[in-house]
Amino acid sequence: MGRVLAWQLQQQGFQVILYDQASTDGEAAAAFVAAGMLAPYAELESAESDVFQLGLRSLELWPQIIHSLKAQHLFHAGGTLVVAHPQDQAYLQRFQQQLQYHQIAPEHSPLLSKQQLAATNSGLAERFDMALSLPTESWIYARELLGVLQQGLLDQGVQWHHNCAVAKVNNGQIISAAGVHHFDWAIDCRGLGAQAQIPQLRGVRGEVIEVHAPEVDIKQMVRLMHPHYRLYLVPRDNHHYLLGATQIETDDQSNISVRSALELLSALYSLHPGFAEARIVRTATGCRPALPDHLPSVVTDNQLIRINGLFRHGFLLAPALAEAALAQIQGH
Amino acid sequence: MWTLADKPVNSRLLIGSALYPSPHIMQEAIRASQADVVTVSLRRQTAFQQAEQAGGQQFWQLLRELELNILPNTAGCHNAKEAITTAHMARELFNTNWIKLEVIGDEYSLQPDPFALLEATKELISQGFEVFPYCTDDLVLCEKLVEAGCRILMPWGAPIGTGKGLINPYALRNLRQRLTDITLIVDAGIGAPSHAAQALEMGYDAVLLNTAVAKSPDPISMGKAFAAAVDAGRLAYQAGIMPASDTASPSTPTLGTPFWHQQSS
Repeated sequence: MGRVLAWQLQQQGFQVILYDQASTDGEAAAAFVAAGMLAPYAELESAESDVFQLGLRSLELWPQIIHSLKAQHLFHAGGTLVVAHPQDQAYLQRFQQQLQYHQIAPEHSPLLSKQQLAATNSGLAERFDMALSLPTESWIYARELLGVLQQGLLDQGVQWHHNCAVAKVNNGQIISAAGVHHFDWAIDCRGLGAQAQIPQLRGVRGEVIEVHAPEVDIKQMVRLMHPHYRLYLVPRDNHHYLLGATQIETDDQSNISVRSALELLSALYSLHPGFAEARIVRTATGCRPALPDHLPSVVTDNQLIRINGLFRHGFLLAPALAEAALAQIQGH
Repeated sequence: MWTLADKPVNSRLLIGSALYPSPHIMQEAIRASQADVVTVSLRRQTAFQQAEQAGGQQFWQLLRELELNILPNTAGCHNAKEAITTAHMARELFNTNWIKLEVIGDEYSLQPDPFALLEATKELISQGFEVFPYCTDDLVLCEKLVEAGCRILMPWGAPIGTGKGLINPYALRNLRQRLTDITLIVDAGIGAPSHAAQALEMGYDAVLLNTAVAKSPDPISMGKAFAAAVDAGRLAYQAGIMPASDTASPSTPTLGTPFWHQQSS
């Protein structure tokens, strides 16, 4: 969130100074673990209308941001296929019910027959009789984008105080171990780092796995509807796939558990037999900052803006929330 | 008002705390359901940690804010030992001897393992727990659980999360008739408010459900719908439901009906 907002502010001619508790590579951020899905329709499975509307806005804004960063290679507009095994069709129907409840027009979520699914060349027609297509959804290579944003900001001369833990962000003030720093605006995008000032914030653990599967050639994001597991698959270059994500009520950031790995990998194998010989490239764990309503919060108080609670939707919401923050500042 | 494990409660609906779109909606939906008892799962949150430093504290705090009776459960446990350990952790965390005992025997259907369930029940009752066993509708298993000291039984309506309703009403009715002194709660498989009403109409003391409310597109309204359904079902049971009959019986006496109406019909 912080990097996207900093970039947008910088583009608008503001002088931006960043305070970052970690190093500039972003490894400590929840975003570093994210799959970078821009999937507002698929998120309706468990998210509210506000997230959907902000997500649609972000879907419009991301191409502009990507263009300004000259990072078109990190943006992919392949859409999403939502599938369920024959015995779990009720879960696909439930998702369709959610889409209908939110009055999503059928052209945004066409149901593909087995033949149409076969025509996607994803190989999913081997095990699935149908799929719900969400053709307008996209994804971003999240980790790489953090690097591009870092380089872009540094190239533009942004001051970046890394490894600088911020104790408090107040009205026009940032307080670190080095002292109190005064600014025209102080913007708090610390995520879980802001817990001391936003007590209702909590961490929700998410675990992801990256695999290399040369025998699989899926060019869309895939969501598997299953009674026990929530699985998404995001394609990356060279037959690499990112799969996630667990959602566990704890702020424990330790390595992925055996149970989570088993669940994610079993669900993965059930998608396509070619995953049997895939290689596990890496696993990652992060904690998402969540508020009790699971909605993002942008609060302005004089020369202070707090943006938090992006939960599972960091990349989906960041541009729309940055736009809202920018409007606050410019309208002041 | 009725009594559940020595505690006075109003509602005959027990509700789960999982699968909601957000904790805020969970709180609102549970309030709307008027439930007095809320179940909570420990298993995933506490992996690898001791009770006193377990993760999920903030989520549990949101549950405590509801000021309801908390019924911790052992969801996700696959053997008696795991379930007993989780029950101990639950007692420590929530300061209650109540435990909804789930020991899963089949990973896909989440069907309870009756043998491990009975084993864990005996052990936990000997340690002073009030065990609410999630069991199948098998009469012999239920009798063994009662012999082990259970005052409450929670037979399934259908497998967890299926929403199929009461798939074996014969077995459930039989349990009610045979175990007259036991508190019987249909747990799992309830999909529609009418399923809940059906269980109460049979004389079941209560129902426990989660997915039907949590995964509804509008969980708060669905919570209200279930509150109304359990009230209707209980009231109907108390009022006495007319026995079904194979022969028609007019609600208006035929004696006073003009004869030309009979001719034209």
